Amino acid sequence: MLLIPISSSSSVLPQSFFNSTSSYSSNHHSLFLSNLSYPIPHGSRKLKTLRLRANFWESIRSGFVKNNNSTQLVEPPSIVDDEEEPLLPVEFTLVERTLQDGLIEEIIFSSGGEIDVYDLQGLCDKVGWPRRPLVKLAAALKNSYMVATLHSVMKSSSVSDSGSSGDNGEQQQEKKLIGMARATSDHAFNATIWDVLVDPEYQGQGLGKALVEKLVRALLQRDIGNISLFADSQVVDFYQNLGFEADPEGIKGMFWYPK
Amino acid sequence: MLLGGSISTPPASLRLRSNLYPQNAVTQSSQAAFPSAMQRKPPSYSISDEDLKSRGFLLRRTAEGLNLDQLNSVFVAVGFPRRDTAKIQVALEHTDALLWVEYEKTRRPVAFARATGDGVFNAIIWDVVVDPSFQSCGLGKAVMERLIEDLQAKGICNIALYSEPRVLGFYRPLGFVSDPDGIKGMVFIRKQRNKK
Repeated sequence: MLLIPISSSSSVLPQSFFNSTSSYSSNHHSLFLSNLSYPIPHGSRKLKTLRLRANFWESIRSGFVKNNNSTQLVEPPSIVDDEEEPLLPVEFTLVERTLQDGLIEEIIFSSGGEIDVYDLQGLCDKVGWPRRPLVKLAAALKNSYMVATLHSVMKSSSVSDSGSSGDNGEQQQEKKLIGMARATSDHAFNATIWDVLVDPEYQGQGLGKALVEKLVRALLQRDIGNISLFADSQVVDFYQNLGFEADPEGIKGMFWYPK
Repeated sequence: MLLGGSISTPPASLRLRSNLYPQNAVTQSSQAAFPSAMQRKPPSYSISDEDLKSRGFLLRRTAEGLNLDQLNSVFVAVGFPRRDTAKIQVALEHTDALLWVEYEKTRRPVAFARATGDGVFNAIIWDVVVDPSFQSCGLGKAVMERLIEDLQAKGICNIALYSEPRVLGFYRPLGFVSDPDGIKGMVFIRKQRNKK
């Protein structure tokens, strides 16, 4: 597991951390797959990536149409980058830091979709979103193709004389939901990202970027070629920096009677 | 409105609208009684089902009987790439709602639209097509009006889509607004990914 010890005074993660994930992922040992609703292909990598390339062309053009699209066609080399990256594990640690009082905080990313709907509602309250019925919230999560979460786990640093070296059960662990993003999809061509949120106490640290970046990568690795979203005007730049383009080829997002 | 880093939420006006219709629904089925606060008129379409039938067009709301190769041909006819029918099958199995028009004489699909989403809050409409030989006679509108109605019946208040510039004029009369409150539709483009 790649750990980046950060002193309690530092709150900004280096940008490079989020851009170069290949070295990160390869160091991660505990790759566990839990409760997956989408299969990760185990077949030969070559076959998978050939499919990825063909599907990318189809998907990226499916919504945009028209033949003389030479400007929007993407060069294959960018897809080669994806081919060389190992599959994202479902859950892994983004950052680990030591706080005062000897507490250690771990920020854990997961695309496994294990989320407590009450925690989510609490998080939505924290960022100031209007309340949505819990039943509907639960249904929306259940119907989402992928739900990515950020949890903060606090534990006391293990005392060296505890005697039980590998036993974490004795330590107090407090796990808190601090971020979420979800995507709906038809499992074949398109995915749309909704509800991206990060606990205000944890904002400004690059966690939102990591959340979206990892979610996008996980979607790409499942052959979903067209990943879209709708961004408030203030966050268009945020998504542009993550590789999203507004109105590509003049294609406009439209809403039915928004007012 | 930016709320502490929360992004990709329905715009403020949409949230307000959904709060106007408090849902006490326990079931999610489309047969669920409408909440009392929501007075839904019976749908009035530009062209009625009977009208369509009299012209030889049958409305279908499930993929049953839909020949995917023929659907693919319609996609290609309007300029979409031809897609793997197995993948289309998967996509249709994970589609919240769909509507297509079958031309009685040939039993072929001549119009189609589908919507994906989370089934409660949001839906996105994809693949709206009308066979070029059957365009400009109200089929696209017929499909869209009914699809929207079906989504609304499920309680979905946020209905969105991505429109090519040349068909913005098709969607506007149906009630679609582009970039409301400055909200932009964005798509992930791989070649830009390494720019930052």
